[in-house]
Amino acid sequence: MSDRDEDDAVAGAFALGTLDPEDRRAAEQRIAQDPAFARTVAAWERRLAPLAAIPEAVEPPAELWTRIEQATILKATNVVPLRRARQWQFGTIASLAIAASLAAFIVLQRPEPAHVAVLAPIADGTAVLLAIDGSNGHLTVRPTGAIRVPTDKDLELWALTKGDTKPRSLGVLPAEGRTLVASLRPDTQLLVSLEPRGGSPTGQPTGPVVYGGTLTQIN
Amino acid sequence: MPDSAPLADDTATLLHRCAYGDRVAFRALYDRWGAKLHGIALRIVRQPSLAADATQEAFVQIWQQAHRFDPERGSAEAFLVTLVRYRALDIARRTAREVLGYEGADEPDDSPDALSRMVSSAEGIALKRCLERLEPSRRKMVTMAFVDGLTHGDLAQKLSIPLGTVKSAIRRSLLSLRECLAA
Repeated sequence: MSDRDEDDAVAGAFALGTLDPEDRRAAEQRIAQDPAFARTVAAWERRLAPLAAIPEAVEPPAELWTRIEQATILKATNVVPLRRARQWQFGTIASLAIAASLAAFIVLQRPEPAHVAVLAPIADGTAVLLAIDGSNGHLTVRPTGAIRVPTDKDLELWALTKGDTKPRSLGVLPAEGRTLVASLRPDTQLLVSLEPRGGSPTGQPTGPVVYGGTLTQIN
Repeated sequence: MPDSAPLADDTATLLHRCAYGDRVAFRALYDRWGAKLHGIALRIVRQPSLAADATQEAFVQIWQQAHRFDPERGSAEAFLVTLVRYRALDIARRTAREVLGYEGADEPDDSPDALSRMVSSAEGIALKRCLERLEPSRRKMVTMAFVDGLTHGDLAQKLSIPLGTVKSAIRRSLLSLRECLAA
């Protein structure tokens, strides 16, 4: 058997999953160091993947999505000094966020921002949500990139005041964003959930929360 | 498993959107694939709580690594399936799996009915045809290994045949699959 066949057999056994633990670890190291071997493994992954049609689908536990959400959205709020935030014009922020390759919502309450928060996300540390809390009660929500919502769904914006247990609806949020009147206290959480067309039928979020962040006061 | 070409395209598109931080796309991917990937993991780790762990780890990786998906190199389905299988295999190797646990389907995985589930894609049709050309005992080994996440050692024990025989049978089966798929 040639070296090429030998490599191919090891790569195939790796993709199939039959290598014993020690051989599997050795193969993992080789994948990380040897691009040609990694490609051979990838070719086997592709060849064997249709076998995954055999196992039956089994509904995961209901709380699994929440666990995944918690593991992929960072809850921490990074506060940006107000002066710097004022210098950031809306477009600058939008283009920064687009440059960061993120489709996210910018939340602005204008004019004369009194509080500001940048909500930094996800694994790679790029900002997804900027919230500036103004004093005239106008809240503008804008996506920084294209957000496509399934045709049978709508996004709905919610405000959860600190200490409350139930969010109140601020209405359906078109994918292109909207401006609305809302008087929000600092520490209010803004949440966006995915709901049936026309918004939640119950007055409470019924679908998954897909964006979220907290307004924080700056002094 | 999603079973038509437009859906296959949709999964690739959803992955692409995830790479751009789109949470709606991520949720849509979960809605479409959560139960399927969980079912794959459950067969390998055999315990519901471990299967949920594997599925969670897979989705976290999907979110973090969606940008690595390259449609030139393979289908979106293969990308998802590979991620969850490797997470489940890691967990299965780390934990002593219960011998008695989730048993899955009543029918053997190499039965015509089970194999017929593969025909929803061109790749699946080709692989099924090539699997059917293997000797039945080898076809059984390959499907058991993939679906139940069995190592060479596990197969030897389960089928009561020598380890060396298992290794060479798997090797020969893989090489004939490769040749058959390339033909």
